[in-house]
Amino acid sequence: MKFEKAIIFDAGTIINFAMNGLLEEFRGLKKIFNGKFLITKEVKIEVVDKPLSIKKFMLEALKIKELLDEKILEMPSDIGVDENLITKMTDEIRDHANSIFYTRGEAIQIIASGESSCIALSKILTEKNITNVIAVDERTIRVLFEKPENLESLLGKKLHAHIQAKTEHFKEFKGYKFIRSAELIYVAYKKGIVKLKNNNFQILDALLYALKFNGCAISDEEISEIEKLNKV
Amino acid sequence: MQEKENVLRILEETKDAILKEDSVKLKELSNQTIHTASTSQDPDNIAVAVVVYSLSKIIERKQYQGFAGWKKFYVEIVSTIDDSISSIKNSDDKKLREGLTKIRKTVSQLSGKLKIYIQDVFRKAEINKASKIYEHGISMEQTASLLGVTLFELASYAGQKPEISDVILNKTVDVKKRIKTAMEMFQ
Repeated sequence: MKFEKAIIFDAGTIINFAMNGLLEEFRGLKKIFNGKFLITKEVKIEVVDKPLSIKKFMLEALKIKELLDEKILEMPSDIGVDENLITKMTDEIRDHANSIFYTRGEAIQIIASGESSCIALSKILTEKNITNVIAVDERTIRVLFEKPENLESLLGKKLHAHIQAKTEHFKEFKGYKFIRSAELIYVAYKKGIVKLKNNNFQILDALLYALKFNGCAISDEEISEIEKLNKV
Repeated sequence: MQEKENVLRILEETKDAILKEDSVKLKELSNQTIHTASTSQDPDNIAVAVVVYSLSKIIERKQYQGFAGWKKFYVEIVSTIDDSISSIKNSDDKKLREGLTKIRKTVSQLSGKLKIYIQDVFRKAEINKASKIYEHGISMEQTASLLGVTLFELASYAGQKPEISDVILNKTVDVKKRIKTAMEMFQ
């Protein structure tokens, strides 16, 4: 492998860029990135294969497929990672995560294959000394891997039930890094990739809220913090 | 089917609310189904949540009652709920499943504008319930697959819910630290 860095994309982040018409900015980010943008086959199913059969989302699916054709996005097999290994690890990670939280004696199934496959690929790349982050917009997988005790509290609060957690497994979730489309667009904005011309504050605000409204789990408070950071 | 007694009560109260045209009560009943649907992820529990929520919207929109086919649709829905109640009482899961499927079939047998509107109500109900389950802490992809909705639909619907994105428990890493991680990747 002749690269040292990679960003692994979950479905939601790519969907968010596509739904907001920000794929040119996505291409711009890849141009200045000295590494690979990767998606697993499980994520490709969600962002290309499934929506290609639904007229409402066919156009976005075709645009995302073009990113793969242009090698802006690449598959693990393109960089010599065994797809079967990812599938095997994906199943293990998913099954493990889905046996952590219990209520009324029943394990709560919290994550699916696409999200788990990002974790599997991250683990493989880290073992190969490739610096990597996972770009994920939805909140469950991020909270599970960054602060599982928060997910335990959230489940209990929302389900109005006592949650039993196998806390001894929490340490196994450590060691992964996550960013969201919001941080990526901030980079694009700071690096001059966003071509919109208007009042600076308005552009960043508009971009961040557009991403929030299409599924990026970011709070209003965090958006304000990013905007303050921009003014520093 | 999980928590049969609870579902039985919900269906009995649903029938009562339909007869009284009480859409608020129906919405409340639909919300009560979502905890079980989130934990059990049982297709029958999820179907009940979607059906009850759809009925709340259908009953709320009085204008539907003026469309051709309304009367027949209404009678069939009430009768199917009656059958579903009997199925639970008889512990006949297969018949209950058939009943829940029959409600969807009743919609496909409609024609004209009423069919289009009610199909749309059911589709939006699936997305709404998916968003609710996601709100309960189940991942977006897992939820989308349970409800048979796309991530495209769910992401844009759930993204507009502050009860999901603005929850304090979502905050796991300081945003400045996350920005730093992103910037470092691009150095």
